[in-house]
Amino acid sequence: MARSHRRNLLLEFKVPSDPKLLSVVRSAVEKLAEVVGLPEGECRSVTLAVDEALTNIIRHAYRNQRDRPIEVSCWCLCSTASRRRAGRLEFLLVDRGRGVEPSQLRGRPLSQVRPGGLGTHFIRASMDEVEYKRSAGRNRLRLVKYLGKEGSR
Amino acid sequence: MQISTRQSGNATIVDVQGDIDLYNSPEVRKALLEALREKGAQRVVVNLKAVRYIDSSGVASLVEGLKVSRELGSRFILFGLSPAAREVLELSRLIRVFEVFENENEALGT
Repeated sequence: MARSHRRNLLLEFKVPSDPKLLSVVRSAVEKLAEVVGLPEGECRSVTLAVDEALTNIIRHAYRNQRDRPIEVSCWCLCSTASRRRAGRLEFLLVDRGRGVEPSQLRGRPLSQVRPGGLGTHFIRASMDEVEYKRSAGRNRLRLVKYLGKEGSR
Repeated sequence: MQISTRQSGNATIVDVQGDIDLYNSPEVRKALLEALREKGAQRVVVNLKAVRYIDSSGVASLVEGLKVSRELGSRFILFGLSPAAREVLELSRLIRVFEVFENENEALGT
């Protein structure tokens, strides 16, 4: 039987693809993670994942153009089938830039000491689910962090 | 973010303050490479005590500094890592690749 979830919008905004504004988004995400009750270390890892995802959008989808739109939304999905405080924090990042090759989302092996290519690895290591879709000329990246006992890292 | 350099014996200390991300990591890279290549420092010691956040582009700047120091036969040392900085170096499995110390005295005393 499918588990039902209550879906609450926590945050929604649009930000231009300007690296100068990354610190603003980080502040909001870190505070939000704190408010939903994630432990300090997980607040940092969620913030890192969202920041790295935005960095990838700026560098690869928009090729460092600074005035293109990025939509950021964050949802809390709380289970209604259980009294436990299980649930998930879900970020959705949408851009209108170039599509991404699936191979770019796998990250590079960490055995080599060389600069670059670590962002995707940080995202995958920090989040419980990462899903990329391309539809209607938009890239949609969904990042999920489990809350409570459902499988928090 | 602010970056400054100072000298202590044969070491050039690079003090970094603030977050290191896509916006300002090129500045960090430039300061590190200047200390290594133009100033010819035998030891470059990077003070990360006042760095609360570092992303993959910041890590890439540190890796580049390390690689150049190896080419030049100099040393590249980090100290004062915040929990966030330590976590990203651990995630990237680079924590053991760098020489990392708790504080400036330890970093300079080696």
